[in-house]
Amino acid sequence: MKLDRRQLLALTGLGAASGLLAACGDAKTSSGPGTTTQDQLSKLLPAYTPNELVKADIPSATGANGFFSSPTFLKYPDNPVTTSTGVPGKGGAYTTITPLWGAIPSASGNAYYAAVNQALGATLKLQPADGNNYDKILPTLFAGDKLPDWIQIPSWNMGNLGFADAVNKFADLGPYLSGDAIKAYPNLAAIPTSAWQCCIWNGKLFGLPVYYSGATIAGTLFHRQDLLAKQGINPDEIKTPDDLAALGKQLTDAQAGHWAFDDIFDGLGQVYKFPVDPNRWVIDADGKIINRYETPGIIEALNWFQTQAKAGYVHPDALTDKKQEAKQRFWSGKTAITSDGPGAWKGDDAKSGKAANPTYERQAFKLLSADGKPEIWMNPSAGMYSFLNAKLSGDQIKECLAIANYLAAPYGSAEYLTVNFGVPGTDYTMVDGNPVLTERGSKEVATSYQFLVTPLTPTTVIAGQTQVAQDYAAWEADMVKYAAKPAFYGMNITEPAQYARINQPMVDLVKDIRYGRKPVSAFQEGLKTWKAQGGDQLRAFYEDIRSKYGTGQ
Amino acid sequence: MTALQEAPAEKANASPPPQRKNRFRRDRSLLLMVIPAVVLLVVFNYVPMFGTATAFQNYSIYAGFLHSPWVGLETFRMLFSDPLFWHSLENTLVLSLVQLVFYFPIPIALAMLLHSVLNTKIRTFVQSVVYLPHFFSWVLAVTIFQQMLGGAGALNQFLRGHGLATWDIMTNPDTFKILITSQVVWKEAGWGIIVFLAALAAIDQQLYEAAAADGAGRWRRMWHITLPGIRGVIVLMLVLRLGNVLTVGFEQLLIQRDAVGREAAEVLDTYAYYYGVVNANFSLGAAASLFKGVFSLVLILAANKIAHLMGEDGLYRR
Repeated sequence: MKLDRRQLLALTGLGAASGLLAACGDAKTSSGPGTTTQDQLSKLLPAYTPNELVKADIPSATGANGFFSSPTFLKYPDNPVTTSTGVPGKGGAYTTITPLWGAIPSASGNAYYAAVNQALGATLKLQPADGNNYDKILPTLFAGDKLPDWIQIPSWNMGNLGFADAVNKFADLGPYLSGDAIKAYPNLAAIPTSAWQCCIWNGKLFGLPVYYSGATIAGTLFHRQDLLAKQGINPDEIKTPDDLAALGKQLTDAQAGHWAFDDIFDGLGQVYKFPVDPNRWVIDADGKIINRYETPGIIEALNWFQTQAKAGYVHPDALTDKKQEAKQRFWSGKTAITSDGPGAWKGDDAKSGKAANPTYERQAFKLLSADGKPEIWMNPSAGMYSFLNAKLSGDQIKECLAIANYLAAPYGSAEYLTVNFGVPGTDYTMVDGNPVLTERGSKEVATSYQFLVTPLTPTTVIAGQTQVAQDYAAWEADMVKYAAKPAFYGMNITEPAQYARINQPMVDLVKDIRYGRKPVSAFQEGLKTWKAQGGDQLRAFYEDIRSKYGTGQ
Repeated sequence: MTALQEAPAEKANASPPPQRKNRFRRDRSLLLMVIPAVVLLVVFNYVPMFGTATAFQNYSIYAGFLHSPWVGLETFRMLFSDPLFWHSLENTLVLSLVQLVFYFPIPIALAMLLHSVLNTKIRTFVQSVVYLPHFFSWVLAVTIFQQMLGGAGALNQFLRGHGLATWDIMTNPDTFKILITSQVVWKEAGWGIIVFLAALAAIDQQLYEAAAADGAGRWRRMWHITLPGIRGVIVLMLVLRLGNVLTVGFEQLLIQRDAVGREAAEVLDTYAYYYGVVNANFSLGAAASLFKGVFSLVLILAANKIAHLMGEDGLYRR
């Protein structure tokens, strides 16, 4: 099971509160803003040596600003190669804690765990913890000094931790991985530089990236292709927010229980050019650093959405902030246009959707824009990272990195099959050239080892839905052409804690306006308070960052 | 146990010791039964009280209680200067008042009604039906309301189907307090009758028979026998309710807060959650909660005092 950041947020019920996630550390104890200069970065970053094993059926497309789409594989190779030489482990035993969104498998009698540990030549004692409450267990692990040997922490759980401080509990991996040192671990060396950049805090390389790609986005606007076709609408002709608004009336039939839109406000970020989480700041044409709430785009987006909501083109449940049911609404055809993370567009989604409606077909709009110049701000390449405990000895760290090298074996290798699917015949079988979990496998194989480190995430065929993989590849190849770096891209900045609370009233106000409870004009009043309560000081904080560390662009 | 029991006996060996020893022996099994409850209370209610120290610190999870810097009343100054805090307090008090007026009498009326039903089968049946919603979680209860009364719920789809105007119930901030109270009535009123039914059962049946023989009608019997009979329990419940005046259903409000917005739905508990826990400002959350605790204690003591002045037992007999 793979989830993108936004899905995880929706699962944790934090989607709404996500404005807070990237925030804050404790001002009194913070060792600094956590970020790193370009000079230091170039010394720290590991050398990149790609090692694509199998030729992708649809190769990665190169986009703007160095971003690229994921390679797409439609069939697993018949005779997978082994990439690592020998057994990576030396018999060590390590405890790990990783988040898990789903049922936690039993460790006893788990053929998958046993098989992977045997292949690793070490005992990883996996302790997956409920991902929805992960933010609540992390502070106790830190406060009680109960950190395991190896732990994964998603970026959106770092806000509460004051991460510039927290990260000092972990081992500095620079001496083992920086520059050419990484060549001892060829699969880790194949991790792109952009993913390593996310793993650096306070001028040190601490993390191993988990589920990263060449163009990570928060989400986009999806539509039900089958429902649009029924109305004779060609989605390629929808290019501006006005075009989109025109669909409201056409696709809404409230009596029959059909509405055009779900709560697509976050999806309007790319249309009207205001940053959505985790990005928050923009540098305007005059070089001024402005917050998302100060962009003209957010007001236009509020106007647009409130108009649709008041006209009755938005599903009423979506106006009660019930995001967790958005997928069901989309599957069952109660909404025709929704906003979601890219991870929503996978084979398993098609399977669920077709169970509700055989003609179900999810597609994404090509990027819309208000000004005829589509652009999409990228998220940091990786949204999750794993860390080794600083208490481990040098030899133990080397053993763990050798294990990581095994876990990071690319798609098409024998290791990839073991790590992701377990024991052939027991946990998975090959169906039409692709591995599919058996009933036992779906109980035993949980995303656990993969949450420690992964190879570059490929697009693969899931649940036998080949067409979905092809469609996604085509859309992503088009999308990366418009990819751009937002301000302070991938810089791992820890904001001072005292500013965390000023965002909550804005989060609430934006909801009040877009759900139609307050006029758009109320926004300026709220913004004034935001500035006075610390927004302007926060800007000064970022101006300081810009002068010392650059903008990451 | 022996130490506890003998220590006072040695000190004041004159007046109560013999009875005390006897009483202990007599109540031994009862005291044993109460131990688990006391342990629970100590572990989950008394020990966490040390956490209130964070309200006077600039608490950091890395420094912990021991090393976080003390800031005295700074956090409280911040709290009391925050208009959002006062707004949430106002919401809490208004909501509490609305619930006191519209929710509190309902279980009493319901209990008296049920008590007057003589057929035990019907009585047990009705009782089970009205208990049931208590066991639903708030997530489920709110979902049911949303499915029935929401913008795309059964009621509004029926209205749409007949070309009538729809009725905005679940997302109307102006009527939100009534909605919340109705949900509490639906979910909790049945459960609330238990204690009143027990009190009603304790009233001597002969009183009713004697009154009926003297020609007192239904209303007179209710006014002069039933209500005085359960007055003590009503006052007790009222005192307890006043102590909880700042607690108005955290879960219920958290789930529905964003459907009507902060201004209508922010109460003290959700304020402490959003600004304390979600924003990782644990000191502020602790200060808000401590304020609530002290406020509630004062209220409950005052209410108890009034109960005593009225000649009732209140929380305990004087």
